[in-house]
Amino acid sequence: MSERTAEKILEVKNLETSFRVEEGTVKAVDNVSFDVYAGRTTGIVGESGCGKSVTSLSIMRLIPNPPGWISGGDILYKGKSLLGLTPAEMRKIRGNEISMIFQEPMTSLNPVFTVGNQIIEAIALHQKDLSKKQCREKAIEMLKIVGIPSPESRIDDYPHQMSGGMRQRVMIAMALSCNPHVLIADEPTTALDVTIQAQILELLRGLQEKVGMAMIMITHDLGVVAEVCDDVIVMYAGKVVEQGSVEEIFKNPKHPYTKGLLNSIPTLTKDPTGKVKKNRLETIAGIVPSLLDLPKGCRFQDRCPYVIDACRPVDPELRVIKDDNRLPHAIRCIRDI
Amino acid sequence: MFTFLVRRIIGTIPIVFGVALVVFVLFNIVGGDPALMMVGKHATAQQIADIRREYGLDLPLPIQFLHYLRDIATFDFGRSYATRQKISDMIMNGVGPSLSLTLPAFMLTTVVSVLLGLVVSYFRGKIIDRVAVILCVIGMSISVLAYILFGQYYLAYDLRLFPISGYDYSLTGRFEYLALPILLWLFLSMGSEVRFFRTAILEETSQDYVRTARAKGVSEPRVFLKHVLKNSMVPIVTNVVLEIPLLVLGSFLFENFFGIPGLGSITIDALHNSDLPVIKTMAFVISLLLIFGNIMTDLIYALVDPRVKLS
Repeated sequence: MSERTAEKILEVKNLETSFRVEEGTVKAVDNVSFDVYAGRTTGIVGESGCGKSVTSLSIMRLIPNPPGWISGGDILYKGKSLLGLTPAEMRKIRGNEISMIFQEPMTSLNPVFTVGNQIIEAIALHQKDLSKKQCREKAIEMLKIVGIPSPESRIDDYPHQMSGGMRQRVMIAMALSCNPHVLIADEPTTALDVTIQAQILELLRGLQEKVGMAMIMITHDLGVVAEVCDDVIVMYAGKVVEQGSVEEIFKNPKHPYTKGLLNSIPTLTKDPTGKVKKNRLETIAGIVPSLLDLPKGCRFQDRCPYVIDACRPVDPELRVIKDDNRLPHAIRCIRDI
Repeated sequence: MFTFLVRRIIGTIPIVFGVALVVFVLFNIVGGDPALMMVGKHATAQQIADIRREYGLDLPLPIQFLHYLRDIATFDFGRSYATRQKISDMIMNGVGPSLSLTLPAFMLTTVVSVLLGLVVSYFRGKIIDRVAVILCVIGMSISVLAYILFGQYYLAYDLRLFPISGYDYSLTGRFEYLALPILLWLFLSMGSEVRFFRTAILEETSQDYVRTARAKGVSEPRVFLKHVLKNSMVPIVTNVVLEIPLLVLGSFLFENFFGIPGLGSITIDALHNSDLPVIKTMAFVISLLLIFGNIMTDLIYALVDPRVKLS
């Protein structure tokens, strides 16, 4: 889809999601904003615990309460706030307008119902004018679309009769069965082996091209980002630390954390004699700080190789460094490196 | 399924044989001279000899055991020493009153407890949940006798809501007499049952598939009644089905206190009277029912969980 026609479909504005834990209250997502456009994919990248999954569950309003709740900001779907909807109105959005697939295909399907039953449930919930038979036909069609062989018989299989890749395909069939405008994919390929990963990503991209939905791809795998995303948001300790188009982020990363992430990808180079040499794998020193005990000032300071005294006292604002894209390239860092 | 059942039933034959052997050894050898136990200390030599002859206790032990096996196969356990009734008839007559008490009590308890378990898990962490858990612990901590005495004194004697005790074979009479014990049974078991079901259900609510169902737009009641309930059936069924065969036996305490002529009463009376043939039969019947319960649990597992294959 071309840049001009792409329609802004989902706006996350200064989102804040908090959790009450024994030691106090933590903000797992702190002032996160981004837009999602029809036909395009926004990637949310970060280490475990950076708030990327919480962001996606907040959009679905599926944060378990207690202990969590959306404590600030807004989420607009087609210009309308999702936070103002009643639970019943929100249920009409879930699975229908905004769908989600999850990391664990092994456990995300209900083990005691057939996959057909579970897909049909989604269809019957949102397309009330369809008869039972039509729902089943639609479910078979969806299984065919996601590439499950002989869907007429596999529809009556239980999840345990399928492989991980097949189950993720079933999840995708279920998520897309009501033609959603937004698909949130929360690490959809993390639990799958590499060849299956590629197939699933290929499938998602193909389906996106076909129906023009927007996609939010949550992942810690930069390979996945490069493969499918148009825009990228890098999160660290609940905050966006860098954002921009996928080209900008990969070619011209500006935040030390993003640079660190990109350097942590294993690489092979050839030495002058043509022998393949394994390069030493770089890592980001230290560990993610506890949200209960964040450093004052920049949250990345304790792990940052470029840290200076000015980083310590104030948490920097997100500042735009290159505004030539739909998503301006911006970083939360006071330094230019 | 059918071949599984046939195999399991054939498989129980050696178990039944083993049980028969153990019961025989316990009652005829380990427990001392059965004839002396039945007639008491002050019997004459003639009386003891008569008893020995009547129950075949004068024969060599292996022959006695063979006779016992024959009794089991023909379901003819001889006559009670105390009442001279045929034991098989006593059992047949006792099953009715026992089941009239235990079956409705058990079903009511299970349904009410599962429903309350669902409600309480739905409100997990909220005030309803906390109050319910406290009530459960209190309910579990009070002795059975306290329930029975409270019911009989306040509800039956003071308020005259129910008859104090007794039994009637007519349908309405049965209901009249059994209402109070059934009600007490319900309150007595609810504490532990609700707590157990709550745990089993909560275990499921944190599973990934529940999040998937919610993400599809499934409503909360449906999430619980469809997705969670069927998954928590496995632990629930294990807990529940094993009890079913024991229902035949009634409840020793309830039948005794409320004068219900079921198998529980028969067993207690037999113990009082040192009625060895009856006690021996009951011991065997209880084992048989437990074996039967295990087979049933396996069958019902397969019904609630498609991952279980009977083969």
